[in-house]
Amino acid sequence: MLVKVQSAANSGLEALGVDVEVNISNRGLPGFDIVGLATKAVEESKERVRAAMGNSSIEFPQRKITVNLAPADIPKEGSLYDLPIAVGVMAGMFQCNVPAQSLFFGELSLDGRLRHTRGAVLMALFAKERGCKNIFVPQESANEAAIVTGVRVYGVKNLAEMAGFLLGTTKIKPVTYSAPAHDTAPASEFDMAEILGQEQAKRAMEIAAAGGHNILMIGSPGSGKTMLARALPGILPRLNEQESLEVTKLYSVAGNIPPGGSLITTRPFRSPHHTISQIGLIGGGQKPQPGEISLSHRGVLFLDEFNEFPRAVLEALRQPVEDGSLTISRSRERVTYPCRFTLAASANPCPCGYLSHPKKACSCSLREIQRYKKRVSGPILDRIDLHVEVPEVDIQKFSQNQKAVSMAESSRSIQERVGRARDIQGTRFAQEHIYTNAEMKNSHIKKYAFLELGAEQLLSRAAQQYQLSARSYLKLIKIARTIADLAGRETIATSNMGEALQYRPKEYEPR
Amino acid sequence: MEWNNETREGVGRTRGEVESRGVMTRVESGGVVAKRDKKYPVLLGGIKDAPEQLYYRGSWNSDIFKNCLAVVGTRRMTSYGRRVTDQIVGEVASRGITIVSGFMYGIDAQAHRAAIEAGGKTIAVMPCGIDLVHPAHQTDLHEDITDSGGLIVSEYQSTHPAAIWTFSRRNRIVAGLSQTILVVEAGEGSGALITANFAKKYGRKIMVIPNSIVSPVSRGVTQLLREGAAPVECAGDVLQHYGIIGFKREQKKPPIEEILEEVEGEVEKNIVRQLEKEAMEVDELARVLGINASDLGSALSLLQLGGYIREEQGMFYLCS
Repeated sequence: MLVKVQSAANSGLEALGVDVEVNISNRGLPGFDIVGLATKAVEESKERVRAAMGNSSIEFPQRKITVNLAPADIPKEGSLYDLPIAVGVMAGMFQCNVPAQSLFFGELSLDGRLRHTRGAVLMALFAKERGCKNIFVPQESANEAAIVTGVRVYGVKNLAEMAGFLLGTTKIKPVTYSAPAHDTAPASEFDMAEILGQEQAKRAMEIAAAGGHNILMIGSPGSGKTMLARALPGILPRLNEQESLEVTKLYSVAGNIPPGGSLITTRPFRSPHHTISQIGLIGGGQKPQPGEISLSHRGVLFLDEFNEFPRAVLEALRQPVEDGSLTISRSRERVTYPCRFTLAASANPCPCGYLSHPKKACSCSLREIQRYKKRVSGPILDRIDLHVEVPEVDIQKFSQNQKAVSMAESSRSIQERVGRARDIQGTRFAQEHIYTNAEMKNSHIKKYAFLELGAEQLLSRAAQQYQLSARSYLKLIKIARTIADLAGRETIATSNMGEALQYRPKEYEPR
Repeated sequence: MEWNNETREGVGRTRGEVESRGVMTRVESGGVVAKRDKKYPVLLGGIKDAPEQLYYRGSWNSDIFKNCLAVVGTRRMTSYGRRVTDQIVGEVASRGITIVSGFMYGIDAQAHRAAIEAGGKTIAVMPCGIDLVHPAHQTDLHEDITDSGGLIVSEYQSTHPAAIWTFSRRNRIVAGLSQTILVVEAGEGSGALITANFAKKYGRKIMVIPNSIVSPVSRGVTQLLREGAAPVECAGDVLQHYGIIGFKREQKKPPIEEILEEVEGEVEKNIVRQLEKEAMEVDELARVLGINASDLGSALSLLQLGGYIREEQGMFYLCS
């Protein structure tokens, strides 16, 4: 008896239909074989299926069973074929039909329960695309798959339930999507109001959050760079629906959605340690997985101690930062992951950290400082829009000036302003397939960033005086555009451009 | 004298490293003057361990050695150090005093530059063979010195590498050539103090530019003051020692009222008033003036581009 069960294979963010064909033959020695380029995890599926059925009081047939994963020339990976194989075996045994237009997906535990499996949302999307009406997934992954509308999602608890469903004795109710409770907890551990001083740096953070600009903070150890970065998620706007889905897909592929989890609504904030490998950062592997840059898609990638990252790792960032997506090519497959993130980096001004510190002496030689700076290449620095200094805060000055303390704005009120600026950008770029000012190309700048006369004069004067490159010139316009958006202005005023100029990269080398 | 990081720096870990870092000078006029030569600087010849011969680049003119002021200081020059060096050394050099220094980056290099810019003469004493430039990245300055009629001298021939000991040997020549030595900024154990010690031994006048006690490069200066060095407030204090009196400080800086008239906007005016009192960083300005970083940033850019204020290492100054 031959049974066909539909499932799918993941390749990056794409899914590909896979037919699981199970043949239970009356002739031949009893056995259980899987063919069709099954890798180790799929091969082991045999043992899981056999044990799970036994532990669910379903007798495993003592026949010759052959499973074929078709098309047979594409490598199959992962544990998601457990359920379709088990369904095929059971249907063959019970001599019953497999539900039509249905996709099966899920890993089995030896006790017969179904485990949370990565990629549920992609599977549901694939089902919708293919016109499949039903998908059967582990119960813990059901809410994730239910994000996709137009497909009936059945959350299966265990194999016994599945068997009952096949025989028509048990009913499984389709899951309806339940939005995750909006967490009222703040998105970050620090509130901007808690950070004393650093007015300029906070303002730069606000601009970065509003326009999706990359930002570099330079300052002595302990001046508050990391704290500022950690407070950044608190002022980022919420993800819109489309963005949420993009992020959720990536997290689903990477297996980063917890059991029972669902749509991701807060912007990702990733801060990998500087010992990260190139593949860890940009993604890769035999079966290409998204790296940190993709996991921070639509969010923030924070690289603390920027200069400590291996040069090769940082250089690998160049193209993804520019393009917003990355294609990983391996001999077996080629996948493209989006990575439109805001890069936030922090660095010390020199190896000892005290260059330009008002009180402490720097103990580095000129050569050491130059070598330290050279670790980050020009092209990388050139891709960072906002350069801001985070000076040491003199606590004494605060005790004298109470007004300053009360001046500090809370993350919530900054977030509101940022949200408004993002809304303006959303409306502006509705037809352009971009979301933020930082993503603007030259043609967009011409179209959407109108400089008032004063602003234009100021910019050309600055271009002359500071010998700005073409890229820096355009970058300043983008930043000024965001500043104008924050102020709710249609055109870019002189003062907007003036402020933007404060965030241009500066020279620190002692002469 | 203790060898700390600062004195050791630039010397390199091994000889080979230093050699590879020095770069050859271009071919130009030069030669060698022996101790017994008439052309040999008299003042230098008077010291006990005067070098047997001086190799030089540029055109030797004995007049250049008549009135010499050694200007030495830290490699870690602050913006204060740069400003006072430019101002005082510039004025002194413009009155015909030769500025002698050790060609190291920081105050030394700044002193050479200030002298050249003021149209004065300057002598750089190298710690390495006369055919090398050390530190290598200052090749431009090396050329500027000879082009402006100054001299590059060294007691070492051809490509003798710089080493820890050549730096302090070099300092004795700097002190030996000059009647007076001016220490601008010097941290604890700075190489400038070695030069000052030599100067003391040779009976030269030691002058210093006072500095803030919280500055990391003030300890050496304060130490010299305690030992009886003369504080310098303006170029006139230095020139007095060379018999140039009645020196009036030029009023280059426009009065604050003039700037205030030119500058538009109340925020900008307030910034100018505040910076006249003291240099500040941006966050402090925001606090003191009670304006947000956004408005302040745009005002600062306008003032910067207008040439009224300057930013150095995060601090804003009123242009002088």
